[in-house]
Amino acid sequence: MGEIKLKLERITKRRLIRQNEDMEEITVLKDISVEIKPKEVFAVVGPSGSGKSTLLRLLNRLEDLSDGSIFLDGQNIKDMDVIALRRKVALVFQVPILFDGTVERNILFSLKIREEPNLEGVAEKYINLVGLKRNLLSRNSNELSVGQKQRISIARALTSEPEVLLMDEPTSALDPTATHNIESLILDLKSKIGLTIVFVTHDIEQAKRVGERGMVLVNGEKIEEGEIPYLLENPQNSITQEFIKGILT
Amino acid sequence: MTQNFYHVLISLALVAVALGISWYEKIRVEKDIAIGTLRAFIQLVAIGYALEFIFDLNKLWLILLTILVMVMAGAHTAGSRTKTLVPGVRISAFSIGVGTFFTLGSMLILGIITIDPKYVIPLGGMIIGNSMNASALALERIDSEVKNKKAEIEQALALGATACQALSRSYKITVRASMIPTLNLMKVVGLVQLPGAMTGMILAGASPLSAVLIQIIVIYMLISAVTITAVITTRIAQRGYFTKAHQLVERMV
Ligand SMILES: Nc1ncnc2c1ncn2[C@@H]1O[C@H](COP(=O)(O)OP(=O)(O)OP(=O)(O)O)[C@@H](O)[C@H]1O
Ligand SMILES: [Mg+2]
Repeated sequence: MGEIKLKLERITKRRLIRQNEDMEEITVLKDISVEIKPKEVFAVVGPSGSGKSTLLRLLNRLEDLSDGSIFLDGQNIKDMDVIALRRKVALVFQVPILFDGTVERNILFSLKIREEPNLEGVAEKYINLVGLKRNLLSRNSNELSVGQKQRISIARALTSEPEVLLMDEPTSALDPTATHNIESLILDLKSKIGLTIVFVTHDIEQAKRVGERGMVLVNGEKIEEGEIPYLLENPQNSITQEFIKGILT
Repeated sequence: MTQNFYHVLISLALVAVALGISWYEKIRVEKDIAIGTLRAFIQLVAIGYALEFIFDLNKLWLILLTILVMVMAGAHTAGSRTKTLVPGVRISAFSIGVGTFFTLGSMLILGIITIDPKYVIPLGGMIIGNSMNASALALERIDSEVKNKKAEIEQALALGATACQALSRSYKITVRASMIPTLNLMKVVGLVQLPGAMTGMILAGASPLSAVLIQIIVIYMLISAVTITAVITTRIAQRGYFTKAHQLVERMV
């Protein structure tokens, strides 16, 4: 079990959606199996609507599976305390959402709700870790650039000392410079704190820059999986080839 | 002077004014006004006869039954007002019931009133009316809080917050919002508005001062009942939006 951090075993997710008046069931993820190793940066690549965000939401149980199982360190996440799971498997959303109040309040959120007694220096440590200046701590959270917000939301996810960090297109709302900064931050976090990182992107180039291994997801199905950049430079599957050529976006 | 049905008929002219305005301004509440007018008439006349009967009989079980029926009627109005995810009528019935019986019970135990339908029923009516509004507001507000703050709530959940923690801000906002009408009433009472109980007593010939004393008690009683109802309604209703695993229920995702 030692060399597998997250194991997805034949997972399927169905959702009810409203079609005009009726409710209709759609399959968002189909029978996906994949293993993610400790301390690797795993990229989930795929066009819009392919189910990438849904996959991440299943991993920290913001939603539950329809079929299959997910194991963290060999333990079925269904059998874990959900709050404990979410502290181990943190999720950073596509669009950073900060709570009202100061940056410090945001960073300390998960510790404060757990009534952690010793918070001295914690906010400084984490704002430092994401490469921001500590004088931002007293700033109001809605007076920041999107790039700053995204870093703060990453810092906030890290304070509970997760083992896995899930990132849902963390740069999609950012300009090229901020994107570059976040990418370096991801690599930095991997080497500094040995996190297992699963990140979602629809940008092949970004997957190449940041990912070590990855999978291609199209229409809720895993098309292929493998080492990066090999996976993305020598796609075996015609759907992957089309996606990489930019026909599917 | 004593009013009779003839006076009631004439006062319909004022309803006609409201109807005219609604029609002219295209507010489209003519139907609601018409139904409301008729309902108010039928309900009040029926209640008038019922109360005469209850007051004459003066039996405890009948008083309790009357209060219970009033609670259910209030709960029905409060709970079926909006289309929400939660069983509004049941939640309202429970929370209005607790607020009402607690408040009335306390007044009996403290010796402020005696078990006399003359006191219990009108006071109960006022409590239930205000609690009903609080409960309706709470159901509506918590629903819109969850819908509008979905992203923020899920963010908190993702960070390991319990459903309760993720909603703590919305919870406070909801309770406060549903208490506002009563809090406002406390602010302006006597200045802008002579409330129902007092108006009624003065119209019926009681001295303004004794009417005022009753009214003060009524206000204190209302704030207690409304607070209890608002808190219970919100607490129960908010649970309906989450699963046991601290997830938003699927229909909200
Ligand atoms: N709240 C929801 N209710 C019902 N269906 C949804 C909901 N959110 C997403 N879906 C559906 O689930 C499927 C997968 O969506 P998902 O958000 O996981 O895709 P994605 O790969 O993250 O796309 P994007 O790159 O645009 O973020 C889509 O078909 C979408 O329509
Ligand atoms: Mg997405």
